[in-house]
Amino acid sequence: MVNKLWTLIKQVYKQKIRAKSFILMTLLYIVVMVGIMFWSDIKAIFVNEEALEIALVNETSAELESIFVSNDDLAFSFPTESKETLYNQLKEEKFDAVVVISEEAEVLKADIATYTPLKLNDQSAISSFVQYAGKIYGVQQLNLTASEADRILNSEAIITNTNLNEELADGKSEDEKQSGMWASYFVGIVIYFFIMAFLSMITTDVASEKGSRALEMLLVSVKPSTHFQSKIIGVTLLALTQFVVIFGVLFALLRFTDNGSKWKMVESIINELSYSYVFYVIAFLFLTIILFLIIGALFGSLVSKVEEASQVMTPAIMTALVGFYVMISGVANPDTLLIKIFSYIPLTSGMVMPMRIGATDIALIEPMISLALLVLTVIAIYMISLSFYKRSVLTYSSGGLIQKIKTVLKVTT
Amino acid sequence: MTLILEHVVKKYKDFTAVNDLNFTIGKGEIFGLIGQNGAGKTTTFRMILDLQDQTSGNITWDGVPMKKVNRDYLGYLPEERGIFPQMKVEEQLLFFGELRGMKRNELKKEIDFWIERFELEEKRHNKAETLSKGNQQKVQLIASFIHKPKFLILDEPFSGLDPVNRDLLKNAILLLKEKGVTILFSSHQMDNVEELCDHLCLLKKGISLFSGSLLDLKKQYGKTKLTLRTNVPLSELEKMAGVKEVKVDRDEYILTLIDETFAESIFEVVSNGQYIEKFSLDYLSLDEIFKDKVGGNGE
Repeated sequence: MVNKLWTLIKQVYKQKIRAKSFILMTLLYIVVMVGIMFWSDIKAIFVNEEALEIALVNETSAELESIFVSNDDLAFSFPTESKETLYNQLKEEKFDAVVVISEEAEVLKADIATYTPLKLNDQSAISSFVQYAGKIYGVQQLNLTASEADRILNSEAIITNTNLNEELADGKSEDEKQSGMWASYFVGIVIYFFIMAFLSMITTDVASEKGSRALEMLLVSVKPSTHFQSKIIGVTLLALTQFVVIFGVLFALLRFTDNGSKWKMVESIINELSYSYVFYVIAFLFLTIILFLIIGALFGSLVSKVEEASQVMTPAIMTALVGFYVMISGVANPDTLLIKIFSYIPLTSGMVMPMRIGATDIALIEPMISLALLVLTVIAIYMISLSFYKRSVLTYSSGGLIQKIKTVLKVTT
Repeated sequence: MTLILEHVVKKYKDFTAVNDLNFTIGKGEIFGLIGQNGAGKTTTFRMILDLQDQTSGNITWDGVPMKKVNRDYLGYLPEERGIFPQMKVEEQLLFFGELRGMKRNELKKEIDFWIERFELEEKRHNKAETLSKGNQQKVQLIASFIHKPKFLILDEPFSGLDPVNRDLLKNAILLLKEKGVTILFSSHQMDNVEELCDHLCLLKKGISLFSGSLLDLKKQYGKTKLTLRTNVPLSELEKMAGVKEVKVDRDEYILTLIDETFAESIFEVVSNGQYIEKFSLDYLSLDEIFKDKVGGNGE
């Protein structure tokens, strides 16, 4: 039986790894990753944006030249011509914007005049300059010394965390939480993309074998359970392969480009993460993917032909999508009730729980319970699927998912 | 070494697919299971192969319940055609052989032999999905017995094959029989069954109408089919004693007799002591028996 299982696994693995779709998908992931990593360099090659020319008219007595300092995006100038002349020049597009700064009731007022409307980013950048100038102006009105003004504007409180509840994991600093959050965000995305890719792969694979009746020939010599296991193990191995390839390339890129400066950034995030966090992330990652693979194989066994595969996959994909969006909502605030609830639901906990572990102060027992729930669910779903798979692989029926399940139950009991 | 089905019943919630089925297949025998669509043939095959449980009854191979029989002894060609569309022909056969525990070297020799026999040399390295339907069927057929099974089930192996390929298949089945393989097959084409089978079982809606040797079945009806070429007019033939029905087939008459004993008296009348071109008394063809048994609606 072991030999048969191995032969089947080999067949799944070999067939899939040589498939153009798999190779292209892996390459696409790598290209997208490289694109994101080197976006600024790529942008620089294709788009050579010149800084916006902005004329500043200062109608107040305050000194503003030292605040409006030109950078890569914005070039400030302080022409002495009249406002009207400048507006005319604006129409001739000698400037991109004319900012007139005046004072009204001891508050700074700025009017940004343009001929071609500005992009949102540029608008925001100019606004933040003006806001800062406003603050400085306000401080100056109080007749403070320069150092006093500086203290007001740049002072930051020193914050440390002490938590007296021993049931909680040691209180995390904001830095740790930030690192945990970004790492978890990344993990969530990885889980989501792997689920999407490999769920559809296993469902389609089982469905096409069933649809082409190759499965009937196979089942004469192997038990349905062996076939079921071979699909799950084969596709898991494939997922692992893709994982290793993608992250191998990613690691190499981070490590060996820019003298490893990007790797140092990643390292600083990793250094903030604890071993237990890494353990949980790996456990949740693989258990969640395996859970979805089991469900995918089961759903694949329900359809009569491969064209129906996407139809039965929808519920699983929707669930993954919900988990993904809940996880995304956690980037804004990882402490919501929504996150808490979804961090316990086995199908979504893999995406959501790492965020809670990484970015919130959470009792040690919580991820343990969630992980235990996930493990139990994987075992339970595996057992149920196995017994159901035996019945469904040779039953052909039409209708929706529920109808198919009903038919299987009807003709096999 | 035999396959024995005893009182096999398969019931679903609201209907009975197979009802009290009994038959025996001897070693090296070719056995035909005949019935219309929905007669219970595929269900019977699946129960024999332990792909489905029977509600009651026993199925044994050489005295051993099917559940305990080594799966590698069995070969099966399902009714619906299909193989792994993305796999190449040779790869496919290697996979099915290896899955059934065959060594690669031995397997390669077998593959060479059958690929040549089924005239598939040029397609050897082509993906299955690029093959014609008939060729796919041949590949699937080879895949079903590449591991040299002791017992082979072929569900409608002839459907969709052209006459040349049908002959190739027929000869392959006979060769397998020579090698001692026991074969159970179903077919809608009665001429194939008639040519190949030693024994058969006629199924109608899950009930066995006959099970035994082909000759015994034919003897049940007797030699009642009389074909003749004569100048005697139709109206006179119809009036003759013992004639149930007369059909005209081009320049011949086909008479259905009540009993074969009437043949002699008919011969005397139509020949009248003279030379006669054709006078042939036969058993009914399996096709005719099948139509009669299942109610004149054979496919």
